[in-house]
Amino acid sequence: MPGAVSPVRGRPEPAADGAGTAAVLVAADEPVFPGHYPGFPIFPGVCVVEHVHLTALATLPKPGLRLAAIESTRFLSPVFPGDRLEVELAWQEKDGAWRCRAVAGTARGQAAAVRLRFTEETEEGEL
Amino acid sequence: MITVAGIKRVLPHRYPMLLVDRVDDLVPGERLTARKAVTANEPWYQDLPEGADDREHAYPSVLLVESWCQAAGVLAAWDLPNPDVLTGQVMLFGGIADVVFHHPVLPGDVLVHHVRLVRSFSDTVIFEGEAAVDGRTVLEIGRVVMAMRPATELTAEQPAVSTKEIG
Repeated sequence: MPGAVSPVRGRPEPAADGAGTAAVLVAADEPVFPGHYPGFPIFPGVCVVEHVHLTALATLPKPGLRLAAIESTRFLSPVFPGDRLEVELAWQEKDGAWRCRAVAGTARGQAAAVRLRFTEETEEGEL
Repeated sequence: MITVAGIKRVLPHRYPMLLVDRVDDLVPGERLTARKAVTANEPWYQDLPEGADDREHAYPSVLLVESWCQAAGVLAAWDLPNPDVLTGQVMLFGGIADVVFHHPVLPGDVLVHHVRLVRSFSDTVIFEGEAAVDGRTVLEIGRVVMAMRPATELTAEQPAVSTKEIG
């Protein structure tokens, strides 16, 4: 979804084999870096979660799902400008809700473990 | 009331990632109420195509969480402010759980963050709360775990090439 409102400019490229992995370069000119933090750029943890979110949207098991909840996120190590971030993601349906479980990592190891819940567009999410 | 100048004395975040505008109420070690005004003038809206509808103008979910966490950061750091990430003790988010998004937040909305400190250990603080727009809850935060760590722990992890850049 290029052009969507997002704090990250890079877009994860899903692997061609459909294995549920995607990779994205965290470019030094990402707009968040000047303010996070001045003189010491660290990719915000929520932006790692955003890349998991974007990977999920790029691999939706059915159309019309939107993010309903971050069930859990553990931040394991920092991500810096120039890192290549890899996301490994698996979808699961249970009791009518779609969840994905993902691990995002750099060459230095795991950066975050994330569980997201998605829902179909419902009245609760209306404007 | 704490204005944005006061917030900047406590948090290291700066434009475009300073996502708390004002603190209305702060009880140290206990709770905080803060606000963040959302505007279409934020850089995230730059690449939105012409003709996008209201839903497509929704503020990014992860930035709602970031804004709330920064409000929690003001409460955590109030007694021991350190707006420098390179020295002393820095705040790191260890984990976030049970965050539910109830309604989209649009430009023009003012988020009101309610942050409650649940437990505090020697170097770890746990928060919960919610965010509302015009009295309607848009975001629930089940648990945010924040750890205070020596800045050297973070700088030591930085790859060599970037270390050169910051000299």
